[in-house]
Amino acid sequence: MRRPLPVSEGESAGGGQLAQELLPGARMDEDVLTTLKILIIGESGVGKSSLLLRFTDDTFDPELAATIGVDFKVKTISVDGNKAKLAIWDTAGQERFRTLTPSYYRGAQGVILVYDVTRRDTFVKLDNWLNELETYCTRNDIVKMLVGNKIDKEYREVDRNEGLKFARKHSMLFIEASAKTCDGVQCAFEELVEKIIQTPGLWESENQNKGVRLSHREESHGGACGGYCSML
Amino acid sequence: MADKVPSEFDVVVIGTGLPESIVAAACSRSGQSVLHVDSRSYYGGNWASFSFSGLLSWIKEYQEESDGDEWAAWQELLLEAEEGVALRKKDQTIQHVEVIRYASQDSDEHVEEVGAVQKNPAPVTSASSNDPPDSTGTACSDTSELTAPLNEPETSQEVPDVDVTLGNESHGGDTDCTESPLEQEKAENVPVGEAVVDVPKKNRITYSQIVKEGRRFNIDLTSKLLYSRGLLIDLLIKSSVSRYAEFKNVTRILGYREGTVLQVPCSRADVFNSKQLTMVEKRMLMKFLTFCLDYEQQPEDYKAYEECPFSEYLKTQKLTPSLQHFVLHSIAMTSEGCTGTLDGLRETQNFLRCLGRYGNTPFLFPLYGQGELPQCFCRMCAVFGGTYCLSHAVQCLVVDKESGKCKAIIDHFGQRISAKYFIVEDSYLTEKTCSDVAYRQMSRAVLITDRSVLKAESDQQISILTVPPVEPGSAAVRVIELCSSTMTCMKGTYLVHLTCPSSKKTAREDLESVVQKLFTPYAEAELENEEVEKPNLLWALYFNMRDSSGINRDSYNDLPSNVYVCSGPDCFLGNKNAVQQAETLFRHILPNEEFCPPPPNPEDIVFDGDGMQPEVPAPKPEAAEDVTSQGDAEEHSEE
Repeated sequence: MRRPLPVSEGESAGGGQLAQELLPGARMDEDVLTTLKILIIGESGVGKSSLLLRFTDDTFDPELAATIGVDFKVKTISVDGNKAKLAIWDTAGQERFRTLTPSYYRGAQGVILVYDVTRRDTFVKLDNWLNELETYCTRNDIVKMLVGNKIDKEYREVDRNEGLKFARKHSMLFIEASAKTCDGVQCAFEELVEKIIQTPGLWESENQNKGVRLSHREESHGGACGGYCSML
Repeated sequence: MADKVPSEFDVVVIGTGLPESIVAAACSRSGQSVLHVDSRSYYGGNWASFSFSGLLSWIKEYQEESDGDEWAAWQELLLEAEEGVALRKKDQTIQHVEVIRYASQDSDEHVEEVGAVQKNPAPVTSASSNDPPDSTGTACSDTSELTAPLNEPETSQEVPDVDVTLGNESHGGDTDCTESPLEQEKAENVPVGEAVVDVPKKNRITYSQIVKEGRRFNIDLTSKLLYSRGLLIDLLIKSSVSRYAEFKNVTRILGYREGTVLQVPCSRADVFNSKQLTMVEKRMLMKFLTFCLDYEQQPEDYKAYEECPFSEYLKTQKLTPSLQHFVLHSIAMTSEGCTGTLDGLRETQNFLRCLGRYGNTPFLFPLYGQGELPQCFCRMCAVFGGTYCLSHAVQCLVVDKESGKCKAIIDHFGQRISAKYFIVEDSYLTEKTCSDVAYRQMSRAVLITDRSVLKAESDQQISILTVPPVEPGSAAVRVIELCSSTMTCMKGTYLVHLTCPSSKKTAREDLESVVQKLFTPYAEAELENEEVEKPNLLWALYFNMRDSSGINRDSYNDLPSNVYVCSGPDCFLGNKNAVQQAETLFRHILPNEEFCPPPPNPEDIVFDGDGMQPEVPAPKPEAAEDVTSQGDAEEHSEE
């Protein structure tokens, strides 16, 4: 299996230790260190949903229609002994006419940027995607993984070195993968999560400045929050 | 983009404002194929939020002369048995845009918003020819107040790092209900009017910093809040669209009386901790509010006053003038004279009932701005197969002469897209269609300031303040002040929104007197002592927005029966009107379907290889439980 290449030098595997010192995320699930929001972006037809489904469900459908109905998938993975719960968000097909909502990008800690090695146009468009990321991401230290998909195909328009060079230039992790053969898929997600956990301040701070999430759950707590109602 | 928009749908929705987005989501959720387009390059129309550079581009667009309102040759695209209803080419709902820059620019270089590589307010990176280029240098060029052209080379930068000026960002305003209520009350009920915050001097925010940190701003065109038991909150929860958004509780209700900003006691603890109120006043207020909570039970108490204004009724309630003032303006949020006793009691009751659901005030504000909300519904629509196109204008509706029904639209490429139902936002209709419609206007101001209108222990406060009208008969001005933890402005600044129904010619004429009461222009402040009472005004924008709410369908000329109109934002604080409109339209189109039912667990939505619609299994029991049970249902997946 291919290993993704961390682009920045001098990374050590010390992330696990760092992570264990900070356990605020553990209140939800006993052993889950943190919940991370991961995005998948890239041109239509590069295989974003296929990568997602291969990773979360270990399935592959060569006839997969343009994305509809995929909101996000949740999977818990273990990296360096730390469990992380991933909420991986698909584009819901909104990239088709370049209409991803800015709100899609809010609060993400990691992004998987996908191109198709058999279609140069999808590689050329990466710059646009990086711009969009930069414009709408709420944090500057979001971890980026560049994935060249469909390496099972014999025909190729983008060779590996080009991808690697581009990734290096933009401080991204890089891997080539195939959702069809499963090659590189697991690795892409694992390395991304490892890097996120190694990045100080990227995921721990998620437990501060949290907004209110709406559900009926708040209501039971909220009733005691000091409204007039509570005293009557 | 090689992809071409398909030419057939069940529903075409034109405009991505909140009501349109809710209808689009509801239709898509019920299995209709939906095309949702907006002629603008961003989501939300007049409900949008912008980064600072995005807002400057928006301003520029409305300050430019219109290049003709009508499309050129759409008639040629019609067939013999057809006629067309033209749609508007350029939006006309925004007027009297005025920008005033108070903060000085003090950088040598031309400043650009960091990260705004595309210089485009749009979430899209496509080269759309009608996108205005973002130029911070010219956006404000027509205002007389400008002290200098924005690009002028300047002196050295005084404050290199914004963070220095702030200290730690505190989240005292955050209402995390896991805290015990007691602690929370303590944290939030900060003594009023005391200068507790020791702000380091020389913390002047410059215009350059605002431009540079422009990405930190999410500036709402429409300033609203969500009532915590309002229709929109209920809909967000029921439809699970709430999973796409996060909210902050408004932390303070403020009032303005005799030239001073005061905190209005808003919970039991507030009332008892209040230093403004005497013991007697506290008892009177509690007694009155307790009565209001279920006033219907004691009709004898107000029956005689039903025909009177609420303000008159309040005078009979053994409340001191200041308490009357707070109840009238800040709790019922009604104005003198115009509101009847029953309406006033109902509004007061609504306010009280919304207290405590999510926190200490009745209101929530969406993180990153109100503009997130339409987008959240759009995502829901897309998840269920809706197709999205921005920067996609529509030239006309094609009407079949025989049936009188609309059968298609013709887009800006001349492509014909057919559908059964059409939903059009009011601003897309031409003067011809709207000639009999009498629109109201609202006046808006957006200010960037350097501190809160009322100091408190924590600088992270979200406040709503009602400034009563000076002259009787004119409207109160609603002021919403947002701190940086709402993710709508850069650290060290506050974003202040003013809204009122227009009564004078321009927004500035309506609102400037209130702005002057509450803030000091930056330049003046410089001359005075450092210890100025009022916050400094760094930047201001005024504009008028058309209020197209509440218009009877029959007022529009020549509307085919299968074309429905959504209004733009209204002047009210809540979002009730948007939700009601959307639900009404949905019931016309799909009378037998449930409106935005809970979606299945995202894990259960499966791919369907050939159809346009995903196959949606019935919601699993536990997914449904999430929205039906009141208690401890597990929230799904996103946490």
